[in-house]
Amino acid sequence: MKYAWLFILCGVCAILSLSVGALSIPVLDIVPALFGHGEDIHVSIIQDLRTPRTFLALFVGAGLGASGAALQGYTRNPLADPGILGFSATAALGAVGALYFGAYAWVTPAALTGAGLGAALLLALAGHKQSATLLILAGVGIAALATSLTGLLMNFAPNPWALSEIVYWLMGSLRNANANAAMICGALTCLGLICLILTGNDLRTLSLGEDTAQSLGVSLGKVRLLLVVGVALCVGSGVAVAGAIGFIGLFIPHIIRGIFGADPAKLIPLSALGGAAFLTLADILTRLLSAQGTLVYLGILTALIGAPFFIWLAMKEGQS
Amino acid sequence: MSLKLDHLSVSYGHEPLVSQLNIQVKSGEFIGLIGPNGAGKTCVLKTIAGLLKPHKGTASITGRNIHSLPARQRAKHIAYLAQNRHMAWSLSVRELVSLGRAPFRSSLGRFSADDELAIDAALHTAHCYDLQNRKFDKLSGGEQMRVHLARALAVNAPLLLADEPTTALDPYFQISILKALRASALSGKTVIASLHDLTLAKQFCTRIWVLHEGKLILDETPETAFNPDMLARVFDIRSTDHGWEIL
Repeated sequence: MKYAWLFILCGVCAILSLSVGALSIPVLDIVPALFGHGEDIHVSIIQDLRTPRTFLALFVGAGLGASGAALQGYTRNPLADPGILGFSATAALGAVGALYFGAYAWVTPAALTGAGLGAALLLALAGHKQSATLLILAGVGIAALATSLTGLLMNFAPNPWALSEIVYWLMGSLRNANANAAMICGALTCLGLICLILTGNDLRTLSLGEDTAQSLGVSLGKVRLLLVVGVALCVGSGVAVAGAIGFIGLFIPHIIRGIFGADPAKLIPLSALGGAAFLTLADILTRLLSAQGTLVYLGILTALIGAPFFIWLAMKEGQS
Repeated sequence: MSLKLDHLSVSYGHEPLVSQLNIQVKSGEFIGLIGPNGAGKTCVLKTIAGLLKPHKGTASITGRNIHSLPARQRAKHIAYLAQNRHMAWSLSVRELVSLGRAPFRSSLGRFSADDELAIDAALHTAHCYDLQNRKFDKLSGGEQMRVHLARALAVNAPLLLADEPTTALDPYFQISILKALRASALSGKTVIASLHDLTLAKQFCTRIWVLHEGKLILDETPETAFNPDMLARVFDIRSTDHGWEIL
């Protein structure tokens, strides 16, 4: 039943996303426009702009929500965020590298390569050890290194225009969404989600601690590999098409846990649905706010919503 | 079921933790593993559970090397109740106990009718059937320990290892836990529990292993194990009419 509610929520958000924007399209005109019927302007907006954008919002949000839930389950720490493994930083480094050299067509492949190299480096550094702590420490180190290299590239940006491109890209946005990006992101996110969902039962057993989980037949190496690959695919593909979008992986699992319970196995798919709905709503909000004249970036908005919410949650948890 | 430790030695780096254990155990025994803090009790239990690898010797269960068994196969033969009983997330008691069936679960994660029966039986044996719908973090320490014991019993493994199952519990829960472990042994399983309470070890166990500085110095019945020599050498205490006294 809980899945049904969240599926319905995602559906409603998707319909709103197709309808709302600089030019509002009546809900009843959406389906005909999807199949090429109705006013030309509606058909063009729905098919070329809003459908890929909506799918991207759903995929990126789902990937970030599920990654956060899986990482919180693995580390048994509600403060874990997809950023702690360093893939968003390495993906951003790859994308910023492409922007630095003016290779705009290579931003997405470079970001994906960055995420892949980040995952390979993390597994090389910490993949052979059993400890979750070492994996996190290595991830934080990789993130710090990638962030400092990104800063270095910005420091040596060839001109102010390139620097502003980089800064705007890092703020995160779905406004450049297209069908290709949606297909690439969709395929990679689905693969990542499969990897993360496959860790679910083992993450539930890991609630008992690593020793007990191992005594119950859990292979920590297999869980770690699936987790790293799954998070790298979800986060890497999200950053590649939408830039850096934070906080979703941190607070969506919190909300879902509060409403539907703490079972780490169920939390992964539920957080994927919650993240998809939230990011779609946040993207609609950026469009409404940008209609005033100044572009509002998605990454900024999610942080503005997520950070106070997280502080409230942390205070509430501290009091309880 | 038979457990055999053959010249088993475990070390951390170059530092020996446990040396030259030679023991054979048969079904139905309730072994109390006693010794002072740092004697190597947890190390022995973790090695038998397959969590630590010996650097010399072997541990085998029914003739099969424990450390060569696939993880899930090993998990079906050996249940382990760890010293750390922290639960990261608040699951219901039944959900937690059902984790004991993890080695038997299908790849889709579904439980069979046998699994449900094993969970019910474990809840009954550990006296927490009535708690099954409550949240684990809302229980008292003693109730939480019974739930963890039920989780270990739900594995229905022929060998049950319990690391300090009575620590920090009041007498009612200590006795309740040890009664459940004894019932498990009487049903044909082998139970090895590390214990700090010598009186309870003497009362409930059928065999006592005394571990001192990583070596097994005594393997006897409770009637003969708690002799003045052992108490003085291992624990620096003596038994008096008023209880234990430091030497």
